[in-house]
Amino acid sequence: MIRWLIKGMLRDRTRSLFPFIVVTVGVALVIVLVGFMDGVIMGMMDSTAHLDTGHLRVVNKPFYDEEHLNPMDRALGSQKITGDWLRANSDPEIVWSPRIRWGAIMDVPDERGETRSQTPVMGIALDLLSQDSLELKRLNLAESLTRGRLPNKRGEILVGYQLAQTLALELNRPVTLIGQTFDGGMATDNFTVVGFVRFGIFAMDKKMALIDLVDAQETFYLDDIVTDWLGYLPSYVSFREYDRYRSRLEFQMKTLINLHPSGWAKDDFPIVVSILDQRNIRPIAEKFLVVRKFIIGIFLFLMVVVLWNAGILNGIHRYGEMGIRLAMGETHSHLLLSLVTESFVVGLVGSVAGCVLGGACTYALQEIGLNMGDAFAQSGLMLSDVARARLSVGGFVRGVIPGLTASVLGTFIAGLAIYKRSEANLFREQEAG
Amino acid sequence: MENSLIQLNRITKVYRMGGEDFTALHEINLRVEPKSFMSFVGPSGSGKTTLLNLIGGLDTPTSGDIIFCDESLGGMSPDQRASYRRENIGFVFQSYNLLPVYTVYENILFPFLLANLKESDVRDRVMSIVDQVGLIPQVSKRPSELSGGQCQRVAIARALVKEPRLVLADEPTANLDKENSYQILELMLDLNKKFDAAFVFSTHDEKVTKFVRREIGLEDGYVRWDKRRNGDGDFE
Ligand SMILES: Nc1ncnc2c1ncn2[C@@H]1O[C@H](COP(=O)(O)OP(=O)(O)OP(=O)(O)O)[C@@H](O)[C@H]1O
Ligand SMILES: [Mg+2]
Repeated sequence: MIRWLIKGMLRDRTRSLFPFIVVTVGVALVIVLVGFMDGVIMGMMDSTAHLDTGHLRVVNKPFYDEEHLNPMDRALGSQKITGDWLRANSDPEIVWSPRIRWGAIMDVPDERGETRSQTPVMGIALDLLSQDSLELKRLNLAESLTRGRLPNKRGEILVGYQLAQTLALELNRPVTLIGQTFDGGMATDNFTVVGFVRFGIFAMDKKMALIDLVDAQETFYLDDIVTDWLGYLPSYVSFREYDRYRSRLEFQMKTLINLHPSGWAKDDFPIVVSILDQRNIRPIAEKFLVVRKFIIGIFLFLMVVVLWNAGILNGIHRYGEMGIRLAMGETHSHLLLSLVTESFVVGLVGSVAGCVLGGACTYALQEIGLNMGDAFAQSGLMLSDVARARLSVGGFVRGVIPGLTASVLGTFIAGLAIYKRSEANLFREQEAG
Repeated sequence: MENSLIQLNRITKVYRMGGEDFTALHEINLRVEPKSFMSFVGPSGSGKTTLLNLIGGLDTPTSGDIIFCDESLGGMSPDQRASYRRENIGFVFQSYNLLPVYTVYENILFPFLLANLKESDVRDRVMSIVDQVGLIPQVSKRPSELSGGQCQRVAIARALVKEPRLVLADEPTANLDKENSYQILELMLDLNKKFDAAFVFSTHDEKVTKFVRREIGLEDGYVRWDKRRNGDGDFE
């Protein structure tokens, strides 16, 4: 029977063409829209994660509790043991990156070595120099340079481009960082400014400086100590999974905490936080999910309405066929079922076509991106200039489900009219026809 | 007494329209024997179609009962009537009513699909009836590629392919010219002899009269006369 129905659909394309197009376009639009929205929100999260929070973050609780003060003396020791443990025991898709958040006064000397200008800076120390370091790529540093170059040896520093402006910095000139060492003494060290960076976030462009992790450990006496372990998940992991990863890691970390490596202070106690728990991101993410549901709902509704009408037209187009089938002893419900089956097939084929179309557009948006530089420039959020879509299995599912539902539901509602049709008039209808 | 295929007991059909009742059939009593070849005749509005509807289980009488092979249609649900139609009745319509997107073969196959039979199991039966209505050369054509007479042959084949006990045909020749009408009637008479099926027509067409063995005259919802052909071929 299904073969028979499909044969009919292929021959009389007019009756399935319109629903097919509606489903294809609808599904494609949902996929692109969801992909684009996912891309924007995940892009926003990723920029925050890359610079600041990681997707997951392992941090010493005493440090985290007073994070605003940047209490470097509360950083977590035994970097090597902790790192090895994390890499060996956490979920293998998490990539770990040790960081130091530091704060210092940046002092800019003139030719004679006397202070010309001074300002507090917040800094991040990360692995800038290893051959296999992922950090350069992660922060997109090469593309973010407004002037100069990336550090290629110890003692070099990158500075936010607005900070550089404020301090009237020049490339290849020394600056002095004055801060506090791990044990409370004064730390001073000279660095050579080699590049200006545009992070795309006002606060950072104005205040941020980057140095190599090993430099920071030397300057601030943080031997085998870091303030943060940032964990990065691959882009196919949706942010809705982050909580699950977090709790799993938290559970696994009990072993490490019991181990209590010798470099940890007595009250050191690393905790795991996800990006959602930082920078007020969870409420944004939750609102985003509501909006996304709403948009999918609207599409579903529109498609149902359109396909319902298409179903009614189809019913008129095939009035005679329905009549003869009823006369021949097909029951109303069987007839409805066969219409719904047809629309399911149309919905399925349309959904596949919509997936291909929507997937291709989303992929293009993912790879090429949409330059939104101007739109984002003003916002204080950590957004990158280029909005990229995010192609995911979830996006396809979110497109296909409304596509199929609308196709079947639309036909079903339209098909209910069959029950109003009485067989008693069939002969007479036929005469008129 | 001979067993009857259909028995109508005091069948009355009242149509209600706009608050007024209109009685289309008045207490009709009738027996149709198996293998009959008969027609209802009468002026327009006399109740021929109404009667075929009732016998075919497409509509229900206001009062009275219809017995088909010892089974009363009176107590049947709509779905039971659908299955009654599927199993016992073949319909032929004035305007053929073939499914336009399907070939001759597929149109005739359709009743089997409705009965959940597999195509491979019934292919021979379909081809055999296609042969009997003389449409082998057209078997892969669509209705739009056929003449009116050929379409009506397909409709007849479709009505007969499951070998029902009864074929109901409402004005089967009304859309055909004289030549084609005769051919169709001859075909039906021939099939009536070969198959174990009774044929009941409604018609205005006098040509039909020459073929039927029994003719019932309707007028204003009453049976006015009921003539059977005697051994000489004349109506009594
Ligand atoms: N659904 C209906 N509602 C109201 N009246 C109806 C209905 N169907 C038929 N009638 C009336 O019942 C009477 C008999 O109609 P029917 O169709 O049986 O006549 P007929 O003999 O088939 O006529 P024709 O030769 O024109 O086909 C007519 O007067 C018609 O107007
Ligand atoms: Mg009629």
